[in-house]
Amino acid sequence: MLGTDDSTPLEFWVAVANGQHLQLDDIIALDRVLPTGDTVSIYGIVGQVRARHEGARFDSDVFLIADGVLPADVSEAAQIQVTRVVPETFVPPLPGAEVRKAVGPERDEALDMAEVEHRLPAGLTRDGQPVMLDLEFIDGTKGAHVNISGISGVATKTSYATFLLYSLFNSGVLGAAAANTKGLIFNVKGEDLLFLDHANTRIDETERARYAELGLAAGPFRSMRALAPPRKGDPNGTPATGARTTGVRPLYWTVAQFCEQGLLPFLFADAEDERQQYTIVVQSVTAQLQRCAKQSYTADGAVRIDGRTARTFSQLVSIVCDKLLPQDPDEEADPQWTGRSIYTGTINAFVRRLSSAERHVAHLVRADIDDAETHAIDLDSQQVTVVDLHMLHDRAKRFVVGVVLRQAFEAKEAAGTAEPLQFVVLDELNKYAPRDSSSPIKEILLDVAERGRSLGMILIGAQQTASEVERRVVSNSAVRVVGRLDAAEAGREQYGFLPAVQRQRATILKPGSMFVSQPRLPVPVLLEFPFPAWATRVAEADLSGGAGDGPADRPADPFDGLV
Amino acid sequence: MDFSVESWAPEYGSSINLPSAEDADDQADATVERPLDAWTPIDPAPTAAPDEIAFIDGIQRIDARIWIHENGISTPAVCVSLAAGATVCAPGTATTHGVLVVRSLIAPASSTAGPIVTRHATYEFVPAQDTTPEATYLAIHGRRTELEIGVARSVTSSLIVFDGPLRGQSDRQSVGYIKTHHKIYLPDEVQAILGILDDGQRTPLLFLSGGPGAGRWSWYLRLPGRRVHPMSGIVRLELPGTGTVGEAVCRAETVSACLPRFASESHKEARAPQNLYPISGIERELRRRLGDALLLERALRVAARPLV
Repeated sequence: MLGTDDSTPLEFWVAVANGQHLQLDDIIALDRVLPTGDTVSIYGIVGQVRARHEGARFDSDVFLIADGVLPADVSEAAQIQVTRVVPETFVPPLPGAEVRKAVGPERDEALDMAEVEHRLPAGLTRDGQPVMLDLEFIDGTKGAHVNISGISGVATKTSYATFLLYSLFNSGVLGAAAANTKGLIFNVKGEDLLFLDHANTRIDETERARYAELGLAAGPFRSMRALAPPRKGDPNGTPATGARTTGVRPLYWTVAQFCEQGLLPFLFADAEDERQQYTIVVQSVTAQLQRCAKQSYTADGAVRIDGRTARTFSQLVSIVCDKLLPQDPDEEADPQWTGRSIYTGTINAFVRRLSSAERHVAHLVRADIDDAETHAIDLDSQQVTVVDLHMLHDRAKRFVVGVVLRQAFEAKEAAGTAEPLQFVVLDELNKYAPRDSSSPIKEILLDVAERGRSLGMILIGAQQTASEVERRVVSNSAVRVVGRLDAAEAGREQYGFLPAVQRQRATILKPGSMFVSQPRLPVPVLLEFPFPAWATRVAEADLSGGAGDGPADRPADPFDGLV
Repeated sequence: MDFSVESWAPEYGSSINLPSAEDADDQADATVERPLDAWTPIDPAPTAAPDEIAFIDGIQRIDARIWIHENGISTPAVCVSLAAGATVCAPGTATTHGVLVVRSLIAPASSTAGPIVTRHATYEFVPAQDTTPEATYLAIHGRRTELEIGVARSVTSSLIVFDGPLRGQSDRQSVGYIKTHHKIYLPDEVQAILGILDDGQRTPLLFLSGGPGAGRWSWYLRLPGRRVHPMSGIVRLELPGTGTVGEAVCRAETVSACLPRFASESHKEARAPQNLYPISGIERELRRRLGDALLLERALRVAARPLV
């Protein structure tokens, strides 16, 4: 503990003795005996380290010193960010006090883990020590939700989200409830997450050891179902997945479900839609469709509207258009359908928007497949449900995310109990809950963020830039995770939980490293998580019965290609 | 012991005319290496270079002027902090070595002075002849020389450069390094040689007799640097006056070749180029080791017993 810089109960500098070293993220402890005789233990994390010449006054003195002409000493010092003071007597540590590296129980004490009953393995520090999260801040007891920020490609946001899920399901932290706990993952890019239930052929003994260090067995997700939209133009509704052919169920809604559940507004969930006047038309049309669906129940999921049958989305669109803009110019539009909107321009805008959606969602809303009812989306059949969105157009993505989230949320609401928990992994939150516009999806995400904690619906959300996401969604997350950040983004107020040094470091984080901020600790901890033990693409998948690729083409960077 | 601390800052009243380092009684023989008419600048051609050079220096600082009270009589005295140390330069490293710090109470031997113990330091009694500034200075200087010799004993280098004259030291490794010239020892007819010495060149040897010990070998050397007057960068060196002329010349060649490398530059050192970098480095370090003057003065004031 040095005395040339101010020492405060929150931050101080320590001098590093000859032959010793401290590096960033090391955890240290020291004691101070108060005049009362009580001992205060102060714990902290190394936030910055520095070295300098003592005895040199000019920059160029270094040449003289290196040449052996001018005497000088090298001094090394480390800045400590205090994590805990036990008991909570906030006195500064005294200069000259001896500082030690915290190991074993003292390290737990420093990270405030000693009294945590339910520990969720969250990753390893760089020296290979496990870091735990307090489950109570995730499962809703004291807090809920995880938010992950980081730039695309190197921040490995989705990988970390799936790692957390894996840890939740397999670490035993959930106890008996683990079996019934469900995960819902939206796969937004590539087929990254469609092989969660296949072992990764590229995982080696080192990585297995890292899993073991965390108390986890390296392996794939045990129970998973993938849902993928059907191929466009395929009358059988075969799921449109590239590499994965088995264990995928098609993802679509019958026209009846579309009408009855009032899913129409989810087609109008763009920022563009918000500015338009046709919200009132959307509402009345939704109400009319619900009414019609209730009146005309058919086994195959088609809907009859005033004598016309809508078996496909195109038919539905055409019926709705006719209602709003009658063919006969003399005929008035049905005010029950148009709502109070008397402006033809507004109705036209709605029709244009609806027609343009047709191309993107026609294959998702259909009643032309036999026993459509059996294809109803069931989020409970397997532990993890992956909804594959990556082939869909933006509008269709929004539609699917909105509808599936609502279904899950309503199911939780109906269940009335928080247990078993439902985890939702959703990337690109900035698209679904943008900061400065509103949409039906954002409403649901806000519901999840604000009420999900008590309902047992936990959002593991991710985005490139937290500054573009609705503040309430981010601020309701108890655990914040930051991967590599863009330098400009790192400076924004949303990352106020990162001290200055960590912000700087966030711009150079390598894939697989994250800063994790948890409510128990005032300082975010840098941790690494092991390489996924489940396949993240078909090349890595240990396909049972198929030819699994050997580790021959292992990339130099194991996180290469991950998102 | 009763004492009180002078309320004036210690710098006042310290202007003493220091006795000259060169004794006017010294006799110089300038013909030991070559006759006067053959005096020309010499480019040193050393036969061997030392692998390690030590530079030794000492500093002093008056922390406080005090009055010692005894039977109604007040005697002036000074509390002084002294430090000495060495910079040991080997190729690629320069390290501070053997720093000694002492604090002394300089008072007349006749007084009843004893050590002064304060919260931060203890001032040991060092007797001076009387209370005159010259006597005080001599006592301080004597103590400082003791320290420097103590440091020199802890150094194993084959070349030990003392900042200042040798003051009677006769160790073979010792070299005196004098950068202020109160007197030029050269006979008038060869003095002009100082003006034409080029960087790194030396004069032929002189032999100085008189003063303590067996005399000294001495010569002048010009250090590299900007030349604003004929004496710019001129230093005088001393060797113990032992051995033959041949040995002394050999040694002078070695020393003259070693030193220019350490010459300082004026933007980094007020006394450039004569105040060599290793000496300036050790001086700075010593000044730091003396501790904070205000803190020590305050401690002395606290330790002084208030007069009733």
